[in-house]
Amino acid sequence: MTSHHLLPVHTGTVIEDDNLTLGQLCHACGVHADWVISLVEESIIEPQEGDEMHLWRFSGASLVRVRSALRLQRDLGVNLAGIALALDLIEELEQLRTRLKIMGHD
Amino acid sequence: MQYKDYYQIMGLSRSANQAEIKRAYRKLARKYHPDVSKEPDAEAKFKELGEAYEVLKDPQKRAAYDKLGSNWKAGEDFSPPPKWDEGFEFRGGGFTGGDANAFSAFFAQLFGRDGFRPADQVPHGFRVRGQDSHAKIYIDLEDSIQGATRNISLSTPEMDAQGRVQIKHRNLNIKIPKGVKPGQHIRLAGQGDPGLGDGKSGDLLLEIAFNNHPLYRVSGTDIYLDLPVTPWEARLGAKIKIPTPVGTVDLKIPPHSEQGTKLRLKGHGLPAKTPGDFYVVLQIALPPAHSEEAKAAYQKMQHEFDFNPRVSMGV
Repeated sequence: MTSHHLLPVHTGTVIEDDNLTLGQLCHACGVHADWVISLVEESIIEPQEGDEMHLWRFSGASLVRVRSALRLQRDLGVNLAGIALALDLIEELEQLRTRLKIMGHD
Repeated sequence: MQYKDYYQIMGLSRSANQAEIKRAYRKLARKYHPDVSKEPDAEAKFKELGEAYEVLKDPQKRAAYDKLGSNWKAGEDFSPPPKWDEGFEFRGGGFTGGDANAFSAFFAQLFGRDGFRPADQVPHGFRVRGQDSHAKIYIDLEDSIQGATRNISLSTPEMDAQGRVQIKHRNLNIKIPKGVKPGQHIRLAGQGDPGLGDGKSGDLLLEIAFNNHPLYRVSGTDIYLDLPVTPWEARLGAKIKIPTPVGTVDLKIPPHSEQGTKLRLKGHGLPAKTPGDFYVVLQIALPPAHSEEAKAAYQKMQHEFDFNPRVSMGV
């Protein structure tokens, strides 16, 4: 028995695809809504549902993209067009790495 | 506290000019950026680099740092000489970028921390919800398939009343929901950064990643298994036992199977509303030919088959 057994067990909720609002996404990433809107305009992240902002719903994957975008801008001074390009290339690279792994060449 | 050699971190000599410092930073930042780099210690290296650049790009901070002298070795136990910063104007707001939260104790001792407000200075009635915090956790494939409770340890930088940053370690027991996929997030309400004033705490967002498994690979909700089979099982067909994350199952290999043939067990992947599939990828294994009998068997095959696998190469 370790002391871990004495700790309470926390039950979280899974962020399913397409259930984050703009406000939740901004708060989760610590960024301003204007900046997230500019990411949507650059099609760096794509909300599901409706054209109106209050109907926008984002996926859990958008969380990862927004935070990467933030770091690329802050750390490397990349502009939005550059961020869009970098994230697409990184994603493609990761898909290729996964495929290599599935083929057993990792 | 350990001395940090910022010039060494950036691969520069102490006489480097500002243009060289900027070039070195840009180059190393691209190399070690955690979003781009696959080097295992990229994140730590990147933080160290950001800290070094924060000091060396600012002529004031750099001059103060240089004044400590060049006799210190990286990692050496260090405490700043009295009044070492006399006459420099970077106290209180010399920060131009970077994530100051991540800087070392060495940096904080020399240059202070910006953007922090000790808890006891929050004006009365002031209320801000705490930031959501983020962490990545690694779980086993079995945890997702069966659901599990896992103990995770998190390190969070926190401020004490004097405004010093300390790394707080805490353990959390968390429930791994059944069917959670790599890349998905689990939100733990109220487990993020504490709020200011009467504000509520933020949430803790855990990004799920899977540990490498000795047998299985996961892609989305699908699971892959490389399965060694004999040449006769592949060619003649067979009913064999195979491992799956939920136990042994029977698998029928159809006759005329090839190396790399993919067989699908529908719905045996990760649990979900539409469960993923389990793929078996056949890997043909050749029996050894050490004994005379085995050699004779291979020789018999050689005579029986008119087989040239290089026919499409024209040889």
